[in-house]
Amino acid sequence: MATVVTVTSGKGGVGKTTSSAAIAAGLAKAGHRTVVIDFDVGLRNLDLIMGVERRVVFDFVNVITGEATLNQALIQDKRIDNLSILAASQTKDKDALTEDGVEKVLQELADTGFEYIVCDSPAGIEKGATMALHFADHAIIVTNPEVSSVRDSDRILGILQSKSKRAKEGGKVAEHLLVTRYDPDRVDQGEMLSKEDVCDILAVDLIGVIPESKAVLKASNTGVPVILDAESDAGQAYDDAVARFLGEERPMRFVDLKKRGLLSRMFGGD
Amino acid sequence: MSEQSTQTPRIRANRFSLMTLEWPDGIEDLDAWLQTQCNKAPALMAEIALVLKPPAGIDETAIHRAVGFMRRLNIGLIGLTGDSAHRVIAESLGIAWISGQNVTEPGDAVTVDAVPASVPSIAQAMVVEGPIRSGVQIYAKDRDLVVWGQVSAGAEIMADGHVHVYGRLLGRVAAGVSGGSDAQIFCQQFEPTLVSVAGIYASSEQVPETLWSATVRVGLDASGQTLNYQTHE
Repeated sequence: MATVVTVTSGKGGVGKTTSSAAIAAGLAKAGHRTVVIDFDVGLRNLDLIMGVERRVVFDFVNVITGEATLNQALIQDKRIDNLSILAASQTKDKDALTEDGVEKVLQELADTGFEYIVCDSPAGIEKGATMALHFADHAIIVTNPEVSSVRDSDRILGILQSKSKRAKEGGKVAEHLLVTRYDPDRVDQGEMLSKEDVCDILAVDLIGVIPESKAVLKASNTGVPVILDAESDAGQAYDDAVARFLGEERPMRFVDLKKRGLLSRMFGGD
Repeated sequence: MSEQSTQTPRIRANRFSLMTLEWPDGIEDLDAWLQTQCNKAPALMAEIALVLKPPAGIDETAIHRAVGFMRRLNIGLIGLTGDSAHRVIAESLGIAWISGQNVTEPGDAVTVDAVPASVPSIAQAMVVEGPIRSGVQIYAKDRDLVVWGQVSAGAEIMADGHVHVYGRLLGRVAAGVSGGSDAQIFCQQFEPTLVSVAGIYASSEQVPETLWSATVRVGLDASGQTLNYQTHE
């Protein structure tokens, strides 16, 4: 049976799609057959981040409504064999997602032999987001180290443990916290919450801290999941996070203040 | 002074339980159903305070007719609820508009735990495990509430009796919500957004700074007008 991993946050712009792409690519790279689904119907982005925007013919909604088969809609990634993408519809709205329809597609993906189904949730707590988390076995909560993002994450955690299928059946969705856009300098200056503060407020296990990095923007613009940029700090941090998700223990990197050289301390600047 | 102040009129937050008559979608009028109910239990129908919830998008005249019919039957209708478009109708009929909006969103985790009727003597406290997440509302009716764990900012916990929080309290907390002025709040790490005992409330700004993050107990003072904080450190 496939494991459904929902990447969610409540708040927009915190890095859900970047993280979904990176995590899906990471799981596939680790040898697991993985599909990543864009649940942001009407505002699709995942296809851009994955660099497959020109190959989208049919989408998730087409499969739900029966206008296309799953095989027609699945886009095979050209870099990683194990990875497929199911794009969102740009023309429909989120009401096109029905519980039965989503369940049918997830079941079919599982039957096809996918081990991990990564659901990229839209922002907010409306239909698209609740659909994305409804069938979750695991939830990766993406949070920026600032108060509004943390509060929205807390809200989505509440919804997860009350509205998801697992919760309704008396079980629990496994929760993992992923802190993104982390800047140790600004944490040190008190402009950002520290990762300890965030963990303290949310009371969820941390699986990764992704540093604020130029590599993320570059990756988005070139349509390459940032995890494939093995040179970059963000790419390595995502790699660590995926390894931790799969049960490996790794020390946290990129969370401490950079040591400043004598000259830089004397003359200021970075 | 304190004696005088207890005599002054005041406005308090309260929770009353009201019966809602839900008018199902697709049914034209309630006449036959109401008539049967009144025949069965006329005294009860006149006694209970009832709020009518017409289906969204129903014709205005149908509501007018239903309210008229209820008045003729002497049913204790006090207001309308449901579709906010009906607010104007409530005003024109001279009855209250009861907004359901601020109570909670549909489908959210609201836990209302009433004392089972079969337990006569001790109402056992309602015990919930934290973290209580933002947006979640918990109300322990007619009993105490014990939270084991954290209450997040944006969560609301309420009880008719005492409230105990064994953890960090960041959200809103209310004890004695039905007016029990001897209710108290006990909290291990006190950082609330709002604290209220029997309708007397304080926002986080009004909480004495020295008590922030401390282990605190809150009740009303002898006047019943002000919150009284205690810490044992």
